[in-house]
Amino acid sequence: MKIGTPKETAEGEARVAMTPQSAKDLQKLGYDCLVESGAGLAAGFDDAAYTEAGVEVVSGEALWSDADIVAKVRPPSDAEAGTLSEGQTLISFFYPAANEPLMNIAKDQKANVIAMDMVPRISRAQKMDALSSMANIAGYRSVIEAGNNFGRFFTGQVTAAGKVPPAKVLVVGAGVAGLAAIGTATSLGAITLAFDVRPEVAEQIESMGAEFVFLEFDEEQTDGAATGGYAAPSSPEFRDAQLAKFRELAPEVDIVITTALIPNRDAPVLWTKDMVEAMKPGSVIVDLAAERGGNCELTVADEKIATENGVTIVGYTDFPSRMATQSSLLYSTNIRHMMTDLTPEKDGQVVHDMEDDVIRGATVTYAGEITYPPPPPKVQAIAAQPAKPAPKELTPDEKRAQEVAAFRKQTTNQVGLLAIGGGLILAVGLVAPASFMQHFIVFVLSVFVGFQVIWNVSHSLHTPLMAVTNAISSIIILGALMQVGSNSVIIMILAALGILMASVNIFGGFLVTRRMLAMFQKS
Amino acid sequence: MDFGFTTAAYVVAGVLFILSLGGLSGQESAKRAVWYGIVGMAIAVLATLIGPGAGLWILSIVLVAAGAAVGYQLATRVEMTQMPELVAIMHSLVGLAAVFVGFNADIMINMVSGVYADAGRVLGAVAEDGYTAIGLPNDVFKELSAFGQLVAKKTAVEITILRVELVLGIWIGAVTFTGSVVAYGKLSGNSSLLPFKIDTAAKQLPGGHLLNAAAAALSLVLLIMYLSGAGSWTLVLLALAAFFIGYHLIMGIGGADMPVVVSMLNSYSGWAAAAIGFSLGNDLLIVVGALVGSSGAILSYIMCKAMNRSFVSVILGGFGGGGGAQMAVEGEQIAIDADGVVAALADADSVIIVPGYGMAVAQAQQSVSELTRKMRTAGKEVRFAIHPVAGRLPGHMNVLLAEAKVPYDIVLEMDEINDDFPETDVVIVIGSNDIVNPAAQDDPNSPIAGMPVLEVWKAKQVFVSKRGQGTGYSGIENPLFYKENTRMFYGDAKVSVDSLLPKME
Repeated sequence: MKIGTPKETAEGEARVAMTPQSAKDLQKLGYDCLVESGAGLAAGFDDAAYTEAGVEVVSGEALWSDADIVAKVRPPSDAEAGTLSEGQTLISFFYPAANEPLMNIAKDQKANVIAMDMVPRISRAQKMDALSSMANIAGYRSVIEAGNNFGRFFTGQVTAAGKVPPAKVLVVGAGVAGLAAIGTATSLGAITLAFDVRPEVAEQIESMGAEFVFLEFDEEQTDGAATGGYAAPSSPEFRDAQLAKFRELAPEVDIVITTALIPNRDAPVLWTKDMVEAMKPGSVIVDLAAERGGNCELTVADEKIATENGVTIVGYTDFPSRMATQSSLLYSTNIRHMMTDLTPEKDGQVVHDMEDDVIRGATVTYAGEITYPPPPPKVQAIAAQPAKPAPKELTPDEKRAQEVAAFRKQTTNQVGLLAIGGGLILAVGLVAPASFMQHFIVFVLSVFVGFQVIWNVSHSLHTPLMAVTNAISSIIILGALMQVGSNSVIIMILAALGILMASVNIFGGFLVTRRMLAMFQKS
Repeated sequence: MDFGFTTAAYVVAGVLFILSLGGLSGQESAKRAVWYGIVGMAIAVLATLIGPGAGLWILSIVLVAAGAAVGYQLATRVEMTQMPELVAIMHSLVGLAAVFVGFNADIMINMVSGVYADAGRVLGAVAEDGYTAIGLPNDVFKELSAFGQLVAKKTAVEITILRVELVLGIWIGAVTFTGSVVAYGKLSGNSSLLPFKIDTAAKQLPGGHLLNAAAAALSLVLLIMYLSGAGSWTLVLLALAAFFIGYHLIMGIGGADMPVVVSMLNSYSGWAAAAIGFSLGNDLLIVVGALVGSSGAILSYIMCKAMNRSFVSVILGGFGGGGGAQMAVEGEQIAIDADGVVAALADADSVIIVPGYGMAVAQAQQSVSELTRKMRTAGKEVRFAIHPVAGRLPGHMNVLLAEAKVPYDIVLEMDEINDDFPETDVVIVIGSNDIVNPAAQDDPNSPIAGMPVLEVWKAKQVFVSKRGQGTGYSGIENPLFYKENTRMFYGDAKVSVDSLLPKME
């Protein structure tokens, strides 16, 4: 079968869905590759490069009619969709929720459409998750774009010409784009703060080197796993608390990157006009949600504006396209992985398996039917968090009460043990003669001293401890020494053996301890 | 005949011994502390030789010298991986010495009472004035050895107590002796020097713990018979019963529980010394015996706590039956080759190595040390996490790593490092299994549920160096091996680590 990639028709779109590299991989799957002349030019791949990779360079019309599978980036125009033929497969971003008329055209043409933006978020499908790969680029680019419009260094420096404070970057929304932005900002040396409504991402944020902006709010948060890894819309109270926090941060931060988006909804307004006004002149806001209205109240989609107080607001919506080479490479790889799943036999024949979670999820029209929305995937997107028993925050009073109770318990225990021990000793003392008691006192005190001393021995020295105690327990040699002088032969022999064995132990034990201890070296 | 000087020397020695144990709280002070112990021992032995043990100087010194020679050979030749065996076999010597000294005490009592009988008196009888009637002619008394004189001065009650004490000394000593020999056999496995081989698995004669209980009951009966004057043969039988208990008890305990067993035997050897100290009326023996006994007891306690098992359940052998089915483990073990491990290590900033008994078996500590050195040279943070029961002896891993010149300040114990796993890039598990088993926390039905474990699975990536796919000593499936961030690096630990080294440049 033939797989073809046309030139993108949308204005300003520089990406391409097939690169010479991905074409080679597709050929290994048994496909013949076609590309429209000039399709990859904007992304840095000329026709010659495609030809070299064994791709047939054809005209646009020939491509749409010859290719059994058409792979592209943007959703097709109505005209393009109209040229789809029965049984032809289209793979592209499709946004089916917003593009119902387009979906109907595809259905009427009996074409099979696979929407790259509908690939379910499960581990197996990560390799074809084009939204994530594009979001990653957008996140990176947003920081670069901010830096481009920001008049200072990101990193703090102390130079001969004076001290430069580091830039302070706030990233709102720690999805894929947000995390990419955090990573880029921290590696440029900025102090990075990040906020997300999902408390479980705090760990991810911190792992990227940013500081999680903690919000004092005890609303029961929806587990991100229940919504396929996306944030759920939050309550008005929570939003207020969130905005208050941002208002507090606004005068401090130099760069704000907002990435808060919930699928199929308008972007929530998180950075209001008064926050923009509170910011320092020269600050930059990059709004990655501009396409859906923007997280910042003043954002103008596709434009860069400057406010009266000198704050630049970047509302571009084509960040991935601004890095066309990189995004084409990643997107074409996503497509290639999708094709791998569609070609189980690697024989160049598409098997459109509607039982497969990933393929079913991404398919929006199939054999003249609209198959959107898909049923929920059989595999849970992200392992649900085990229901944590909420660690109860104790009030200081409760803590104090607990401490007191613990202390009391300890005291009772100790006093109890002492009483029992004392009682036992007294009982022994009642019957035992004084000469025994003298030794007994020594014994009890030694046990006591032993317990006190041994608890302090460091764990790493337990083996030397055993060797030392072993050596000194050979103190039993004293007994043998006292007896060896006896005038009974048996006693003498037994005592002699005792001395021999004990002295083996004394010397062996101490020497081996010294050997071991000498090995412990500090770095 | 009192020896004021000897007692003074004993006080000094006792203080030195306490300081010696106390000094083990830190690596540097420990190097000084061991000298305190040596000096203490020298003072004690010399004081005894000058004082009450003045009988046969030449024989004593020759024997001590011979013992020293053997001890020196043992101490300098032993491999650090064989430390557990060495400690075990040394315990057996203390135990046997205690048995001998105990028997001697009995023989001495008999002899002294014989002397009394010859003189027409009864040992321990009370004179009309209420005091002990030594009643022996002075020249007969003088002829007795120092210990004999001590015995001769005792009252009847004191003689009885003396007998109880020496029975305790013999009994504990005998249990320690056979127990330690068996423990040695189990620990040394194939390299055992014993003429017979001991299976490392937990094995018992038919009848199990009933046999032990019967032997213990028999000992008690024998004790009563002995006290009521049945004669020395009861003592011999009693020792045999104790020998049997020591043998059978430790036979019933598996190889991996040996840390507890060895520390328990350590404790017993101390108590035996203390009991003998009572019977000889020697305070230094009592002091040291008590110190050693409590030290061993604490070690056993720490070990048991680290396995979340009660002391009794360890001694009675085997794992207590966990109710209910264990969680089934899903997923598969994914293997990785040396190149993959090296690549991950090259990317990692922080690495934690978790060594276990497998490292000791494979003698891989030098290779691990070399790997550590290379990674540290490359600027990575490398640390070691030691579980309290890793290996076959408390602190076993620390000694092995120290031998391989791993600096001790990067070797941390469980509590110090457990919180750091989430921030760690790579964890390398070498030859340990149960101590990194997440089932201990996740699965209430697991036999090791509640045992504190190293939370290695929280790290970003875990490599497990392991010989094969088998389960650990406890026979429990380890869900760690099936986790998504775990890769199995199969093969002998030393060979595996060595294969990494040339690629680590």
